[in-house]
Amino acid sequence: MTQAPYILWLDDASAPGNALLGGKFASLAHSTAAGLAVPPGFGVTTAAYRHFMTATGLAEEAARIRARAPHMALNEIKGETARLVEGIKTAPLPPELDTKIRESYAVLERRTGVSETPVAVRSSGESEDLEGASFAGQYETYLWICGVDAVIRHIRACWAGMFGDAVLSYRVDGENAVAAGDFGMCVGIQQMVQARAAGVMFTLNPLNGDRSKVVMEACWGLGEGVVKGDITPAQFTVDKVTLEILDRKTVEQTETYCFDPAAGEVTLMPMADERCRKPCLDDEQVLELAKLAKQIERQRGAPQDIEWAIGERGELRVLQVRPETVWSHRETKSLVEKGQSPVNRVLARFAGVKVAAKAAQGESR
Amino acid sequence: MQQTATPQAAASSSAKARFTSPFDITTPEGAEGWQELYPYYALISPERREMEDEKLWFFDGMHSPAPLYPFDTIMTENWWVAASQMSNRVWPIPLALGIDHRIINGYLYISPNAVTDPDEVAKRAEHFNARAGHYYENWDTIYDEWVTKARDCIERLKVIEFKPLPELVPDEQVFGHRGLYSSHDLLTAYNTLIQNMLEMGSYHFEMLNLGYGAYLTFREFCQEAFPGISDQTITHMVSGIDILLFRPDDEVRGLAELAVELGLDEVVLANESPEVMLAAIGAAPNGDKWLAAYEEAREPWFWFSTGVGYTHEDPVWMNDPRLPFTALRGYIKALKSGDDIRRPLDEILDKRTQVTAEYRELLPTEDDREAFDGLVELARKVYPFVEDHNFYVEHWHHSLFWEKVRELGDLFVAHNFFDDREDVFYLHRHEIYDALYDVLIGWAVGTPPRGEVYWRPLIARRKQIRDTLCRWSPPPALGVPPETITEPLTIMLWGITPETIDEWLGVDATADGELRGVAASPGKVTGRARVITDFAQLYDIEDGEILVCRITAPSWAPVFQRVAAAVSDVGGMMAHTAIISREYGLPAVVGTGFATTSITNGDLIEVDGNEGIVRVLDKEA
Repeated sequence: MTQAPYILWLDDASAPGNALLGGKFASLAHSTAAGLAVPPGFGVTTAAYRHFMTATGLAEEAARIRARAPHMALNEIKGETARLVEGIKTAPLPPELDTKIRESYAVLERRTGVSETPVAVRSSGESEDLEGASFAGQYETYLWICGVDAVIRHIRACWAGMFGDAVLSYRVDGENAVAAGDFGMCVGIQQMVQARAAGVMFTLNPLNGDRSKVVMEACWGLGEGVVKGDITPAQFTVDKVTLEILDRKTVEQTETYCFDPAAGEVTLMPMADERCRKPCLDDEQVLELAKLAKQIERQRGAPQDIEWAIGERGELRVLQVRPETVWSHRETKSLVEKGQSPVNRVLARFAGVKVAAKAAQGESR
Repeated sequence: MQQTATPQAAASSSAKARFTSPFDITTPEGAEGWQELYPYYALISPERREMEDEKLWFFDGMHSPAPLYPFDTIMTENWWVAASQMSNRVWPIPLALGIDHRIINGYLYISPNAVTDPDEVAKRAEHFNARAGHYYENWDTIYDEWVTKARDCIERLKVIEFKPLPELVPDEQVFGHRGLYSSHDLLTAYNTLIQNMLEMGSYHFEMLNLGYGAYLTFREFCQEAFPGISDQTITHMVSGIDILLFRPDDEVRGLAELAVELGLDEVVLANESPEVMLAAIGAAPNGDKWLAAYEEAREPWFWFSTGVGYTHEDPVWMNDPRLPFTALRGYIKALKSGDDIRRPLDEILDKRTQVTAEYRELLPTEDDREAFDGLVELARKVYPFVEDHNFYVEHWHHSLFWEKVRELGDLFVAHNFFDDREDVFYLHRHEIYDALYDVLIGWAVGTPPRGEVYWRPLIARRKQIRDTLCRWSPPPALGVPPETITEPLTIMLWGITPETIDEWLGVDATADGELRGVAASPGKVTGRARVITDFAQLYDIEDGEILVCRITAPSWAPVFQRVAAAVSDVGGMMAHTAIISREYGLPAVVGTGFATTSITNGDLIEVDGNEGIVRVLDKEA
């Protein structure tokens, strides 16, 4: 048996769907293979994580804490995990892993033609595959990380993030989600897109589950604010069948997430330029995105939630594709009463009986 | 738009707003006594003030954009009964009685009557289900029968003749011992003419409400399943590609191809005047072949009104071929620059199939897909009638009818009652019966009839009144808005919904330089406005201008080739304008209420056919 690789590139033939990449990155590898414009990058695999944990002797402590997770009160967790988290952040990397990561980052620098190339360091957990658990927003992503030492520091931070209080107490259907298994984590290293505008789109209307729409939220600059919710995004609704823009809600954006060279990190900065008064997407871009959403949904065979960015030269990039989890897991209800003839439906309509119930109502589980 | 309209509606309906009372409408100076042009039953009546004041009356600019000619009220009076009886007494539609009419300052205002008592609704539903069910189940057969009846009615109309009374009755009336003479024939011809019009008027509505109802039900299903879906997308899934309304224009395309084929293209292009052009073709080699094809195309396809067919004033292609000839020249130019001028029927049909299939796939359950299949099939079944009745009734029959009335006008001129055949339209049809009897008296007795001195001053006065009323701007609605609007024709045809009414109530036409209407055909265009309040102004239109009118007619096709977009005061998504705009790929916003009064010639406007908004960007000084 060959040793599982510590590094797996998104465009590697064995990458799509490979469990070693965790949920998010395996999915991105799929998208890469399907020809979508995914920024280049590689995953530091779950095998790399496990090798680190075993070599440093931290694995046993991790297992002990996971087993205790269902019994810990939220305020206890931090104290209980402090030693483990400190270990993950400081224990020396096994030399062969350290070398592999440094080599791979150097390859990425060559591929992008930029030394110290800015990357996003993103958690991609195995647990994301859990039915109904997106762990949305629970795992860390670090943007605009430059230089391999900083990259390694943030890989460790992603690993440590698995033992944060929110993750350890994350529940699905009332059950503690992480207690059950020895989940590993892949950390993805991906070229940063210098976004002119970015955002999220759903291949259904998230408000009512209507699958004939693509609904997108977008803002100027990096899409962080849209995901976090601290920027009010513009919203566009597109008819998925006819590709007409049915609704536009534009906003005057006053702040934008961008890389602050002085602080050396991504921060929310005031928008100085003329852009803020203009819609962050023009009609052509909205339609290009909607077509992309339609294509991705067709490839995946189910409604999707897609993060995207548009670079300064107008190039469209896919940052993340994951299955939509709310409406897709809700029981589908018929709009109509079963078994009536069309004539009877029309006759009843003339007497004031509506022909169909509203498309799925926003009732919560 | 739909989504944002709802909260507004809720907000303004709580304010209990109302429109101006019909009793507070004043007569413009110079039009005093306008009431004498119309029958007593069509006027707002002080004796029934309470009832009339509490109803919603909205201006039917869609069918009757101008002050009614006294004779032309035969059309509005016809559907006052014919459309209403279908809803109220024939089916009966559970939720709707008839649609009431009033003439105010010469303009037609209408008011749908709803049924609100649940017991009454249930009682009506029982009859309705049996009767309407029968029509839906046998739709295709009944439609075939309908076409036969309509064509027969048209044939009987064609043979009606009006000839001045002879010096002596013809020999055969005497020697055939007929006992009935020219006087009797004249009255019979007139009665037959009126009966024939009312007969077609009845057929007109035989299947229409049910057709609209099936379509509306499908539309509502789509709106519930796919909230925000555009009206034109729904129509697109249902509407046919080979409807008769496109046929006249298709004939012109065919004539353009033939002209090029026969080498007559230069002759057509060189001559603007129809008479000169036809003469030049006649003189050219192969000209006879083209003229033969032209004659064949004309009958019946040039019985095509340039209006909606409800007034005699709308020129008809048959008598005024300027419009089709303009189109002809356009098509010939297109052909010569290598364009394919045939409508891409297969492409349109493929697209329709694909769009329908995609929506179907997106429905939540198999039961929903089954319901969708059934409803789209039923809507497509009824739709040929909905679209094609228009050609048989409004274009072919009505155009012929107006021609017959003009022949009657000639008779009055011959008997020295009028100076002009067109004066006949200044008499109500009941007055015509009197005037005809007056003709008979004068002819029979040998005393000059009073009509020779009676009508001329009256007609002169009526002309002056009507001209004055033409300059008055009818408000879109009067009276009190109802709680709900359920009458299907009101919604379908006039595009009047609770949202429309709130729009009108809150309107300050030019306050923010923005008008809202129905997004009838997608696209967004900016250009100079050309406001058309009279048909003759159509010839002033310059390429790239935006047509702004009360209502357009499908036969304005050549105009659609030249304009960049269309805006109308009235109309819903099923209005003829909307259908043709979509066919021509022009952005259109219909039902704006105030476009012709708030926009002036030369204003720079933006038409947003996606959102249903017209913006005035720059007022012409």
